[in-house]
Amino acid sequence: MIKSMFQISPGFEDIMPAEYLELIENGPFEKRVGVSDLGAFKELLEEHPLCAGCGLALSLRLILASLPNPEDTIIIGSTGCSALAFPQVALHNIHSLFGNQNAVASGVKRALNLRFPDKIKDVVVIAGDGATADIGLDMVLHSWFRQEKITTIMLDNEAYANTGGQESGMSPKGTVLNMAPKGKTFSKVSIPELAREAGCAYVASVNPAQPKKLEKAIVRGILAARELGPTYIQVFSPCPTNYKFKPNETISKVRLREKEGTYETKEFLSTEARELFARLEEEKK
Amino acid sequence: MIEQRVVEPLQLFNAKKEPQFITGSEAVREAIRRANVEMAISYPITPQSESMHLVGDLFAEGYIKEYFRGENEFAVMSSIAGASMAGVRVFTATGGPGTLRAFEVFSTWAGARLPIVCAFMTRGINSPLTIQPDTIEMAFMLDTGILMLHAETAQDLHDMLLSSFMIAEQTEVHIPVGVFVDGFFVTHTRDKVNIAPADMKLPPYDPYSSPVPVMDMENVPFRQMRDPFVMKSNYVSYSAHASWQQEVMAAAERARKYINQYLGELIETENPDADILLIGSGTAVSQSREAMAIARSEGFNVGLVKIKSVRPFPAQEIKELVKHAKAVIVPEFNRVGWLAREIKSVAEETTKIVAGPRVYGGMTMPPEMILDEIRRTSV
Amino acid sequence: MNQKISIRMSGLGGQGVVTAAHILGSAATRDGKDSTVNPFFGAEKRLAPAESYVRISDKTIHERGEILFPDIIMIFHPHVITLGKCYTMPFFEGLQKEGIIIVNSDEPLPLQKDDLTKLAELSARLFYIPATQLAIDLGGTDLSTNMSMLGGLLGVTKIVSRDALEESLAERFGGGQFVASGTTAALDDALKGKYTKVAQLIEKNMEVVDQASKFVTEYKLLI
Repeated sequence: MIKSMFQISPGFEDIMPAEYLELIENGPFEKRVGVSDLGAFKELLEEHPLCAGCGLALSLRLILASLPNPEDTIIIGSTGCSALAFPQVALHNIHSLFGNQNAVASGVKRALNLRFPDKIKDVVVIAGDGATADIGLDMVLHSWFRQEKITTIMLDNEAYANTGGQESGMSPKGTVLNMAPKGKTFSKVSIPELAREAGCAYVASVNPAQPKKLEKAIVRGILAARELGPTYIQVFSPCPTNYKFKPNETISKVRLREKEGTYETKEFLSTEARELFARLEEEKK
Repeated sequence: MIEQRVVEPLQLFNAKKEPQFITGSEAVREAIRRANVEMAISYPITPQSESMHLVGDLFAEGYIKEYFRGENEFAVMSSIAGASMAGVRVFTATGGPGTLRAFEVFSTWAGARLPIVCAFMTRGINSPLTIQPDTIEMAFMLDTGILMLHAETAQDLHDMLLSSFMIAEQTEVHIPVGVFVDGFFVTHTRDKVNIAPADMKLPPYDPYSSPVPVMDMENVPFRQMRDPFVMKSNYVSYSAHASWQQEVMAAAERARKYINQYLGELIETENPDADILLIGSGTAVSQSREAMAIARSEGFNVGLVKIKSVRPFPAQEIKELVKHAKAVIVPEFNRVGWLAREIKSVAEETTKIVAGPRVYGGMTMPPEMILDEIRRTSV
Repeated sequence: MNQKISIRMSGLGGQGVVTAAHILGSAATRDGKDSTVNPFFGAEKRLAPAESYVRISDKTIHERGEILFPDIIMIFHPHVITLGKCYTMPFFEGLQKEGIIIVNSDEPLPLQKDDLTKLAELSARLFYIPATQLAIDLGGTDLSTNMSMLGGLLGVTKIVSRDALEESLAERFGGGQFVASGTTAALDDALKGKYTKVAQLIEKNMEVVDQASKFVTEYKLLI
């Protein structure tokens, strides 16, 4: 994208929404901004239609602020709470169906590679835990097996929240949710480990309580996907509505789980990813 | 790979052609070789597999830039949608159970205004297990919003595929085209097919001719709406969806003139003023031709209508033809008789329509079965 | 020939009934006739029943699918009859009056008396040919069984010209890749491996065809 395209035709300024004008004047495009600059630039996410205290909304905001190349980033979403926020994201984004996000992203990435062979086009999947670990797991894994150069981000709220709080593969064992009236009988699915075994060059588990760490993971995940192959970032984004805690407790819930050792941050770098990041560090100096 | 030059579509369609003795699957390859396709994705299912093997060969030779085997039909049709949204000309194929496995995705293609061309090599659907010819999947596909052409022969298959890219990609159409062909009866049958020289190919697809934004961050708008429809009032949701869906239906209607331009009329007729009309699509037409020849030699006044386009449906044409006939026989290769239903939905006098004979789940339809109906309706 | 000739080939998977049908149909088109060729529409497995169908006519052929009323039936393996490895029972079901049956067998098979009677009533002509043995003796491989069967057919009726048959064979194995199905493509490579050169393959196979046409013997059907 060139920024000049992102302009309003003369004479139409007065009818364009205020937030759009603001995006043009002070958006993140062709600027080096990150989570530390939040509040100083117009964000890609224009408000959001999700619940008060929503972990997804916070994570999504941080993820979008972390994108290293927003002017050439295409996002593929999936059905779920996060899908409701995407129409308000000022990037080209696709919602196709429930679970097919990594298959759609594979097509998008390969097509853009054909059309813009000399240009960086980051294709980033952002989907929920149901879409990633349950209904779309085969397509997630196969995109990794095929070494698609895409970044997969799971917003893990540990339930199907949009449909009213049902158990998902990512719900902790024992949790009582709809469709698990006697408590979930099996453990949280280990997607980060599956990702590593399936050939992801970079894998991380992060949370919005540590924004800088989250940002670093997103940047690394996208840079490694450009050069090496698939990458996976899991973002713990608890759901106050279905896990029945107060909207202002979201961050403390994240911290508690980390302290308990039931949802830890982690990072895995392949040898190639380690070399790549070392080289990029070197080039920056 | 032969060096190819871009020519106008009609120049390719009207080029001097050479006959080749090939299977329907090979006819697919020859169409795609000339179609300037950028990306194709495959997944095996009988009787489609050979077609996409051969498209894979085209990739190996350099005629196609990107090709891979997906993990299942739902994923393949999703990846194809992604590639199309990102602005390249795509092709894929499936059939039978594969069609149903991918079904949810087909219902999104037209709404997303994707000019995807997909071949459907039809076959039976369980249970019990059959892999043999049957067109029942077309009944399911009728209301997905995609345009549906039905090939009778390998020649039709070849011609319809090439034309489909041109029909689908018109800005005022810009919805997918499914080219349906009866598995085995055409795909695995070797027949004479006339084919244009291999040094010609269709003009490339211009992604910015799309009526909706291409997902490449190179064209506006970057923000589509303030709130998702599902969270607005029911009235807003209704207005948005109803107008969008009507526009998709209108796009299908606007496809008629391009079908006429590239493939002739939506129907073909032989002796249309006859007392008894055989109306069919696909290879049911081939069997009807044999039956008609025998019936005529026995003195029966029989005519034939071949429906080439099922969506858009030639409603007005069929209505007129049925009006003039004394009896209409609709032979079909499926259990439910979906074509007879379509014909009855537009005809004024439905009692003169014989919804059969039908053969499904395997074998061919002996022309004698159609002859029996001709004799019965003549009594 | 003014009428349509319909040929049904029954054998076991791997014996080359699909290839034989292709070469025959292709030869017919070289002779200026119309022809359509298709295999049985099922799962392909070696040694499972396999059938293919050839229609040859001076006029355009519209009819599709398996041949229900053949003029000629070619049986590529005795098991088609003796073990019922066949999609049509009895093996001559649908045979037209004065039809022809050619069976690959070193000696006449012990056919049921009823079957022999019915064949005689149809004024059918029954032929035997040791096609596999001829393929091994002359072609050096049983993979040429289908070629000796075609030779046998030419020995009985000149349905296509020898030249057209040779050209079709050359095109089939010498030219671009032919695809009837994935499995058939894999078998092709196996056959090509048996001969150092494609030219040698064609020459050997035509020798099989030529010799086989002399080894076909008629079995007299008496009412």
